[in-house]
Amino acid sequence: MSWFGFYAPSMAWLAFLIVPLVLFYFLKLKRPRLTITSLVLWQQVINDSRVNSPFQRFKRNLLLLLQLILLILLIAAAMQPFWRGRVSRIQRLPILIDCSASMAALDKPAGKSRLDAVREKVTEIIDGMLPDQELCLISFGRTARRRTPFTSNKKILLDALSQIEVEDVPSDVEDALRMTQALERTTTFSEVLLLSDGNFPTEADFELSFTLNYQRCEHPGPNFGITSLNARRTPEAMWDIFVRIEGSGDAEGTMTVEVTRDGERVGKESLSIAKGESERIVFRVSGERASSVEVKLTPDGFDSLASDNRALLDLPALRRLWVYAPASLASFRHALKPLAGIRLFPDEDGKTTETDFDLVITDRADEKTLSGRTCLYVGLVPEALSGLVTAGKKGTQVVDWRRNSALLQHVELRDLIVLDDPRSAENVQESDYEELGYEVLVHGTAGPLLLEKREGEKLAYHMLFHTDRSTLPYRVGFPILVSNLVRLAMHQAGLTEVRANHTGVLSAIAVAPDTAYDIVGPDGIKRTERSDKDGRLRGIPAPRVGVYSVHKDGAVQSKVGASLLSARETSLAWVEEIQFNEDLSVLAAGSAPRMDRSLWPTLALVALCILLAEWLYYHRSPAWFSK
Amino acid sequence: MTDVPDASERSTREPQLTTLLDNRTLSRLERLRINSIRRFTDKRRGEHLAGRSGTSNEFSDYRDYVPGDDVRFVDWNIFARLNRPYLKLYHIQEEMHVALLVDASSSMMFENKLERARQLAAAFGVMGLLATERVSVGVFNSVGEAPTRLRPFRGRASMMKLFRFLEDIEGGGNAPVDDGIETFLKYHVGRGIAIVLSDFLTFGDMKRAFNRLFSSGLEIFGIQILGPSELDPEVAGDVRFVDCETAETLDVSPGELIGIYNEYREDYQRGLAQLCRQRSGRFVAISTEDSLEWVLFDLLRRRGWIV
Repeated sequence: MSWFGFYAPSMAWLAFLIVPLVLFYFLKLKRPRLTITSLVLWQQVINDSRVNSPFQRFKRNLLLLLQLILLILLIAAAMQPFWRGRVSRIQRLPILIDCSASMAALDKPAGKSRLDAVREKVTEIIDGMLPDQELCLISFGRTARRRTPFTSNKKILLDALSQIEVEDVPSDVEDALRMTQALERTTTFSEVLLLSDGNFPTEADFELSFTLNYQRCEHPGPNFGITSLNARRTPEAMWDIFVRIEGSGDAEGTMTVEVTRDGERVGKESLSIAKGESERIVFRVSGERASSVEVKLTPDGFDSLASDNRALLDLPALRRLWVYAPASLASFRHALKPLAGIRLFPDEDGKTTETDFDLVITDRADEKTLSGRTCLYVGLVPEALSGLVTAGKKGTQVVDWRRNSALLQHVELRDLIVLDDPRSAENVQESDYEELGYEVLVHGTAGPLLLEKREGEKLAYHMLFHTDRSTLPYRVGFPILVSNLVRLAMHQAGLTEVRANHTGVLSAIAVAPDTAYDIVGPDGIKRTERSDKDGRLRGIPAPRVGVYSVHKDGAVQSKVGASLLSARETSLAWVEEIQFNEDLSVLAAGSAPRMDRSLWPTLALVALCILLAEWLYYHRSPAWFSK
Repeated sequence: MTDVPDASERSTREPQLTTLLDNRTLSRLERLRINSIRRFTDKRRGEHLAGRSGTSNEFSDYRDYVPGDDVRFVDWNIFARLNRPYLKLYHIQEEMHVALLVDASSSMMFENKLERARQLAAAFGVMGLLATERVSVGVFNSVGEAPTRLRPFRGRASMMKLFRFLEDIEGGGNAPVDDGIETFLKYHVGRGIAIVLSDFLTFGDMKRAFNRLFSSGLEIFGIQILGPSELDPEVAGDVRFVDCETAETLDVSPGELIGIYNEYREDYQRGLAQLCRQRSGRFVAISTEDSLEWVLFDLLRRRGWIV
């Protein structure tokens, strides 16, 4: 195998240009004539210089030699020579570029980020591309995105490369590999270049069907960051804000954490973190009004990654849980009354004007239209299950129940007597319910007794028997079940615990249905989204840490904060080996990828130097030199 | 008070005898004579003392009387005192021929070389005529052609004739100086001085030409006249030199060759000087940029060419 080759050997015909060059040289068509008094002395000088110096014979035709070298270099450049970088030439090469948050880590203060280093490496590969080679750029953070199709157009590739920016999201290499695998169905390639810092899980659930060249970036400097931010409701109707600070593997140092609420500082704390340890700090704020909390981390020393030094949390105003339970469900109302933090509808007069509740408990089919984030339907069979469940007449008993369900924690249902007899239709299995999105929590002798279904943000429980026709209200477990239900409803309503939103995709934002909104984010992010018929803005990408505000006709409708909060990204850890399915593993390459290297720019540069030297030597002015 | 013009102003206002030399220079030349070393002279009587004895007013020596001597030359005063006869000997005074050889080939038409040769020829001619020498002029232009000659003449009255001849010299031709000298000697008769005014840039054999001059009884006064471009050429890049006389070409890429050229020119001049010296002659190289007054009244006087 030859390590050297020409991409365009047919251009060798240009070598015939040497003939006219030599002819023109010896014809000396352009040599200026200068009439002098006599050639006597010059003839002797020339004769002597030719005879006395062996180099003179060569030097006599130095110009011709230089021109020949120049021409040969240009011909060689036109033939597009290249050094072969590897055994087999690569025709197509997909390049996966990691642009997750950890790729923004700097190697030193005001230094170069990992993505910059990767960009330089890819630029070098693009510059050295041969005309028959094609590259495809794929960037990946939380999701993969194909930046270019397979192309040999360097401008397109360089433009796409320059547009790749770091996203403040964790990386998901599997998504990028799957996209590459999808490309493989339409395009043939044998190798894929993965340029990453290795900040992803060691194991990848992926069956590798191509050769993966895994190039890992250099280790960055130390880093500290906020890896967790959440708030919990206290019995005193306040919020306890929990902040976790972690560092990268060998980082240790001091730092300051500052918490502001709607721009007003509510706490500041200095802390020191030792190598390999983390720190959790708590701040308490009142919950009387909805507010935005921002946590800022300021390390005293050099910090590689800036995006994990800021986290945002949106706190709702603390209020009582709105629960609807009709008078017909006296047992439920009786169990709800002693619970704290609850406002029960309808009131004692049996009136209510509200239609939106946090928890709806009803046994009436016409009240299914009531809106609630958590619902318990008693003695009602969902319409979707009308074909699966029939009503028997014998009564039934509890056979088993899911004890680890949040609703049934500490609830004893053994020996419960149920007079209703919900039965599964013939040949109906539990999987049939699951296919419709229902999870069976309590099994009766002939069919399910309690089902759970999550419909978007709504959590619904369907009790297929009426409690009034069972011994459940008289069991110790009944108030426990109601208490569990209230706790679940409070959690669903965001009244017990709030977690900070992660970057990537924002959680659904409640707005007016079927309306266009402008979303304005950090770093000039701006886009227009339309809400769905449920009045939710869904799937809004949030690639950067910061506040995303929803605008309608210029007015701010709501604000949502997004934070990185990734312990893995903050750790800046790396994996040396990626383990794939079928016991395949890929080690990080120890050296840079060896690509075919085009030599024509070098040859052209040498030709230019020779041209300049020739110009200086033969066209210089003696007077100018004497100066 | 009237303004009295100085000498230079007078010389420019007064009618000039010739365009070659101004009157002031001519008046200075009247007081100078050509100083030959070997004293080659003709048999004709002249004002130059010949090396041998003869009849003149210039005492030379005494010798014993031997039978057969003319008794008229016996010094009777010595005889009266010593009572022995002695003959009184006198120097012979003969005429010296000043041959002016002017190279008027094409190579002399560069950078006023021919003009300077005319001026010097006029100056030497004036000095010769005022010293009652016989002066002749030979101008050579082309190979194979007889030189344009001004036959020998003498006396102050011939000065204008000399000037008109020199003023009318036309340049051009391909005669090398050695060939011109040999052609000139075919027509020349007389001993004395040969003043060769040329650039001496010839492929020919100057040794042979100088030998012919020497054997003809002419003391060689070689004056090489070069232009600035020959003394210090400035050429950039590749050029094709064309010889103005032979039209031959030579491709040169001067560069550092200029240094070698200067070395060769100096060697060539040293060689010419040696050839002249070996034949009891003299050689000097001048530039057309040198002033005529400096050449005549400084350089040549210091070298003892003229006194």
